[in-house]
Amino acid sequence: MTEQTTVAPGDEATGMQTSGGQTSAQRTAARGGVAGAPLLEVDDLVKHFDIRGGLLGVSKLGAVRAVDGVSFTVKEGETLGLVGESGCGKTTLGKVILRLIPPTSGSVTFEGKSLFDLNARQLKAARRDIQVVFQDPYASLNPRMSVGEIVGEGLYVHGMTNKRERESAVRELLKRVGLNQQHIHRYPHEFSGGQRQRIGIARALALRPRFIVCDEPVSALDVSIQSQVLNLLSDLQDEFQLTYLFIAHNLAVVRHLSSRVGVMYLGKLVELADADQLYESPKHPYTKALLSAIPIPDPTVRRERIVLKGDLPSPANPPSGCRFHTRCPMAQEICKIEEPPLRDVGDGHMSACHFAEDVTPLHERRSSAQA
Amino acid sequence: MTATARSVGPLLEIKGLKTHFFTQDGTVKAVDGVTFEIGHGQTLGVVGESGCGKSITSLSVMRLIERPGKIVDGEIALNGDNLLEASDEEMRDIRGDQVSMIFQEPMTSLNPVFTCGEQISEAVQQHTSASSREGMDRAIEMLALVGIPDAKRRAHEYPHQLSGGMRQRVMIAMALSTDPDLLIADEPTTALDVTIQAQILEVMRDLRQKNRMAIMLITHDLGVVAEMADEVVVMYSGKVVERGDVRTIFGNPHHPYTKGLLSSIPRLDERVERLEVIKGTVPSPYNLPTGCLFKRRCPYRMPVCEVAPPYQKIGEEHHSRCWLTPAGEPPEVGADASGEEAERAGELLTVEPR
Repeated sequence: MTEQTTVAPGDEATGMQTSGGQTSAQRTAARGGVAGAPLLEVDDLVKHFDIRGGLLGVSKLGAVRAVDGVSFTVKEGETLGLVGESGCGKTTLGKVILRLIPPTSGSVTFEGKSLFDLNARQLKAARRDIQVVFQDPYASLNPRMSVGEIVGEGLYVHGMTNKRERESAVRELLKRVGLNQQHIHRYPHEFSGGQRQRIGIARALALRPRFIVCDEPVSALDVSIQSQVLNLLSDLQDEFQLTYLFIAHNLAVVRHLSSRVGVMYLGKLVELADADQLYESPKHPYTKALLSAIPIPDPTVRRERIVLKGDLPSPANPPSGCRFHTRCPMAQEICKIEEPPLRDVGDGHMSACHFAEDVTPLHERRSSAQA
Repeated sequence: MTATARSVGPLLEIKGLKTHFFTQDGTVKAVDGVTFEIGHGQTLGVVGESGCGKSITSLSVMRLIERPGKIVDGEIALNGDNLLEASDEEMRDIRGDQVSMIFQEPMTSLNPVFTCGEQISEAVQQHTSASSREGMDRAIEMLALVGIPDAKRRAHEYPHQLSGGMRQRVMIAMALSTDPDLLIADEPTTALDVTIQAQILEVMRDLRQKNRMAIMLITHDLGVVAEMADEVVVMYSGKVVERGDVRTIFGNPHHPYTKGLLSSIPRLDERVERLEVIKGTVPSPYNLPTGCLFKRRCPYRMPVCEVAPPYQKIGEEHHSRCWLTPAGEPPEVGADASGEEAERAGELLTVEPR
């Protein structure tokens, strides 16, 4: 149907190797169809939260630099994963993109239109296209509204005022996300965590958006429920040609769903690459350490473990030069002084490290017998 | 392993433990006949999803079950002494001295109005004849041991001045300050970032070796279990469904629930197009199914599953609560079931799995 699909088989022979079958590009092609055209562009986005204090509590004492100059593009039909530890700014970034909080500077454009220049009416229209699924299925649903009201609210706001029409639309949505249609009049507390997350997904889908920000959609769920919701998200992506920005701290979950992955550290994007490339040959020492820290659910695999020293520095007072230099096992003198730009280190693999070329892949050892 | 360990018997022995909660809406059998033991210096991973009873099992060992909960049956022996017969006074001595516990949320487990050093020192003084100065010295020593830089200064800081990872280290320092034989760690790293989790696991591994301490590690993270545990217990709806050596559980799981769990997690080192799922949800504790508790979600469901499956030995140090034969085949007759149960099982059994 598109050149992406026709190119894909050739990819297998020449291009990126994978461990489990398809390449990310193939997956994107299979899923979204026309992956390639940029849908969302984030350019030098900055969000600082002022720290105020003093006698009247109005003088500015400093700023928490939650997001500090982040740029990336999300292509139509793809899933861009965004990972990082708590406090790295990934959730703030999502909220700024959704215009839930105003940016300090920078721009976000959706289909070429700047989201920050929209007036109220235009913003409302844009919100049909851009939706969100939140992390906490307990806190993100109004306990006083029935499922029908929660899922149907967006439809009402955007003009579907006929009650019967709305109800049938909601029933259709509930069915699609795997909930019982009879439960339309029930309230959130009557559902389990996984079911609530399905309600949140139905709400996000109601207006047939093109782009959904998923902010830790499965981290509050039990393991067996997590896989159900992840499968649902990828089915819906196929069916409705959705584009996802998938924010999570669990790298395994992100790898499963994403075609490209960005890694954040202290408000900066430090690496951005095709998912397979990023996981198989990380080009930033932070990414490598992060990957090495994840325990593999297989007792016969022993993987190189890089234990980072110390804690995350405060985003109110980030280190000079490269923000990772205080914990980086590869740090040199230059890292304290000069901030490395995010640059292409080959094949579109972006890394913000002075020594990106020297980062080696993780060692992994499989043993079979000894205890 | 160890002839010595066997000759003195296991460190912790839990037999037929039943901890039930008597609520207005009915009885919740949170722990319903749990049996396992932990040897000296061994690490046992207890795995399961929310509500499977893993935390209640550990709280039962600590005798920290509060109303409406009650330990209604069973035996918990630590170093041969039955904890369920110990007086409250004796229990206070045992806690901390022989068995310590660390919890998931380090902020809520530390007292905000005392410094970290004071809190550790208090534990030391409770269990030894140490003076407050000696207690504080021990506290500083322990803080250094768990890898807190500048331990002397940190000992005089309050919990809110520390990061999450640091607080969990303080908890571990406190738990280990009295040199317990058994450490119960209930989701010790769940609230922490992965790089901090790696630090904490390293501390635990280190101390386990130095002190020859046994660990009961409760977690839902199969990666952490694979890395830390010698033996694994898998729990589901208040019962142990499978138990075995860590390599057996991960390499050759028998119970369909264990298999489902292992194949439903996204892996970093393997890529699959679609995740396997365990369909449905955990049954409500107020309304448990009869027979096998897992049958409604089980892909191998057979008519015989209407009868509670036996907890059968399927290999060396490997047990599973399932009707499938050790080879994973449907059973011919009611396998190891006894008496009436076997009879009913025989009636219900057809060889074709449904």
